[in-house]
Amino acid sequence: MNFVQLFQMLDTNQSTNAKRNALVEFIGTAHPLESALAVEALTGRRQRRQLKPSLLKQAAYQAFAEESWLFEECYAAVGDLSETLAILFADQDAVSQTEDPVLSGWRARQLELSKKEPDELMTELLSLLKSLSRDEAFLFLKLSSGGFRVGVSKGLVHDAIARAIAMDRAVIEERLMGEFIADESWLERLKKPVTQDELDARPLPFLLANPWPEKEALDLDTGTVAVEYKWDGIRAQLIKTHETIRLWSRGDQDITEQFPDIVETATTLPSQIILDGEILAGTPEQLQTFNELQTRLNRKRITQNLLKTNPAFFKAYDLLRLDGEDMRDKPLIARKDALSQIDVIQSQVVYPRCKEDIQVMRQKARTAGTEGVMIKHQHSIYIGGRKAGYWWKWKLDPMTADCVLIYAQAGHGRRASLHSDYTLACWNQHHELVPVAKAYSGLTDAELKAMDQWIRKHTLQKFGPVRQVEPLQVFEIGFEGLARSTRHKSGIALRFPRILRWRQDVGPEDADHLSHFETLMGDSHAV
Amino acid sequence: MGRNFASLRNKDTMVSKKRRHRDPLIIRTPEGLFCPKAKAHIDPWRPVDCALITHAHADHARAGSKHYHCAQGGEGLLNKRLGDHIIEPHPYGESFALGDVQISFHPAGHVLGSAQIRIDDGESVWVITGDYKRDPDPTCQLFEPVPCDVLITEATFALPIYRWPSMDQVMDQLFGWWDHHIRNQRTPVLLCYSLGKAQRIMAEIKERSDRSVQVHGAVANLNVEYEQQGVELCPWRRASESDKGVSTDLIIAPPQVAGSAFLKRFHPTELAMASGWMQVRGVRRRAAIHQGFVVSDHADWNSLITTVKESQATEVYATHGETRVLTRYLNEHLGISAERLETAFGIEDGVDQ
Repeated sequence: MNFVQLFQMLDTNQSTNAKRNALVEFIGTAHPLESALAVEALTGRRQRRQLKPSLLKQAAYQAFAEESWLFEECYAAVGDLSETLAILFADQDAVSQTEDPVLSGWRARQLELSKKEPDELMTELLSLLKSLSRDEAFLFLKLSSGGFRVGVSKGLVHDAIARAIAMDRAVIEERLMGEFIADESWLERLKKPVTQDELDARPLPFLLANPWPEKEALDLDTGTVAVEYKWDGIRAQLIKTHETIRLWSRGDQDITEQFPDIVETATTLPSQIILDGEILAGTPEQLQTFNELQTRLNRKRITQNLLKTNPAFFKAYDLLRLDGEDMRDKPLIARKDALSQIDVIQSQVVYPRCKEDIQVMRQKARTAGTEGVMIKHQHSIYIGGRKAGYWWKWKLDPMTADCVLIYAQAGHGRRASLHSDYTLACWNQHHELVPVAKAYSGLTDAELKAMDQWIRKHTLQKFGPVRQVEPLQVFEIGFEGLARSTRHKSGIALRFPRILRWRQDVGPEDADHLSHFETLMGDSHAV
Repeated sequence: MGRNFASLRNKDTMVSKKRRHRDPLIIRTPEGLFCPKAKAHIDPWRPVDCALITHAHADHARAGSKHYHCAQGGEGLLNKRLGDHIIEPHPYGESFALGDVQISFHPAGHVLGSAQIRIDDGESVWVITGDYKRDPDPTCQLFEPVPCDVLITEATFALPIYRWPSMDQVMDQLFGWWDHHIRNQRTPVLLCYSLGKAQRIMAEIKERSDRSVQVHGAVANLNVEYEQQGVELCPWRRASESDKGVSTDLIIAPPQVAGSAFLKRFHPTELAMASGWMQVRGVRRRAAIHQGFVVSDHADWNSLITTVKESQATEVYATHGETRVLTRYLNEHLGISAERLETAFGIEDGVDQ
């Protein structure tokens, strides 16, 4: 396989499994330099721009001469410059069937072209495109202009590498940290024997909580549980071995590189330790909301500036390994006790005397900037999975607001033909409706159908797939939290908004005002 | 998207405002394109006395008119689509008198029995292409250029990005995709228009292999009509309720079944679509389709331009699709007087709607 064939497989297969299989086959069969360069491109490690988009455009204008308006029309219809050029200038009848590597040759051509004078470059680029198949031309241009993206995550690529050479995924993640050298011996370097330290850097299966059964709680012996806040962040294990510090999220993602500040703080921890806890936004004194964490997760590069504007820290609540010793079969209280001896930010535990203590703590949860409370059995050991009778979560009731439907859009998958994605609005001080949330779920199938018909009949305007409807229908929405946002016209962003019910009993004038959110924000912690 | 009925109403516009032809042979009325001298409408979108039909797709053939004329070979499909109506078929190329003009149907290569309509009043000749393509298609007669003074053409894919690959290339790709997914225990499902495209794919399969397919009911009904007209399709059967699990047959179904119970029974499925729109990656992705095959029953850019040139028409009207691009190109670069003509065609056509 070569990179073009790999791309076709990745682009045209919907299942993650099929994508993984294609990657495994590619890594196993491709020339090692081809696979090295492919891994670089697929994991976003290299996005150097060799050919400016403006140059690509100029080349097309030149080829179209006085018909260049026609090129603009094509570009508008396709929406992607590389693809437009590939369709127009590649050899339509050529099918890339060769298994020969392409990437190192392409890289040499890119370098060559980038050194040419514009006029010469354009002529050579066009004749190069004519010698390529459409997919080849598309990929060549995408890689050259720095806009290459395909639907695979970095984690999936790493997983496939691990499978292709029969190595542990976590070890591969560790070995791929930092600078990646794309040469012919990259796989050989990865295949070195695994050390004990590398094995120690792997995360352990997470223990998960069940929802708190409020009714059965009457029989609870409060003397057997410990209570703490349910922190609103990213669940993670912080691992320190002799040689490395790693941060793994519950989604089996190595997120070490996203949080250099946490890694920095962890250097003072004793070695051979695994902490279970939560990555939180802000500082222990001044929590920020979950939204701020998203920014950290979504950035390819964590800049110094981002570390200042979006600081993060790790709050530990369990200790799974200490000084190389597995702590998981010790009871919770023993683990908590050992944790308290370690110099690390940790979650406060309360041992309730009565059920009211738990209630009181839950009532304070919102002001504390948390999602609710965790109730843990004092004698529970730590086992991976959602174990009954070990940990429970008792979340806050969602905050609510009554909003007016203003836009509707057809959904996806099962709801492809139903207008099920709603944009909901509240009143501002000028008595205008401003959008506050998009909600996708919460109605029954029958309600969705009825609303779909209503939407079709009450459409004021269509913008592509989006319909603006008469502002008449009111829905009660629930959400888990809210934050100020400069990106939204309303000035607020809601967390996990969803529709609780269709309020056919009230009219749009009864919907909430933005001041309602101000009040809610005052109730919860400062943001 | 900008076409709708409201904008077509109350506007009995003369097609030819420039009046190089003192008596335009065709004008637009609320019912559709109309030839006053023949007292007949072409592909009317409301019931009329006399309708000349280019082909049986729903946006061109609507029920309720008193009398229909079509090309021979298309009457069966029309019958299926319209129900009980008076339909008069005419052999390709044979003209007949209607009112004060001579009418004839000519192969359009779009689907079985599709036609261009030629109207001649002795002074000038007008041709309406209807939907057409120039690529060979085993299910219908090859397109024939018809010289005329005024050409009314479709413009669905009037952009240079639309260049159709050869059927050999597409079928290789289709067979590769089909085999890949049955090896991986997934049912290959090809979504395409049930009238025309489905049968074209099946006839192409027949020419190249002894593979068999299962089809959705909407396709099955039309297959029968094609076979009665002597079109050879690959072995097929109607997918039944009792079919469960992964199929090694290709499933052919209209795009509307995506996400329906019909597909669930073949779970896990892999969806592909055969359409000219699949030429653009973004369109395919927005339709949540992972594999697209570029197969169109419409003319691509080069075919549209070639057809205009070969017709030797001095005036051109573009009815639906990228009419703005086509008319501008003809006016500015080929020196052919061209105008856009708003119609209700194309509205129920394709996956982009």
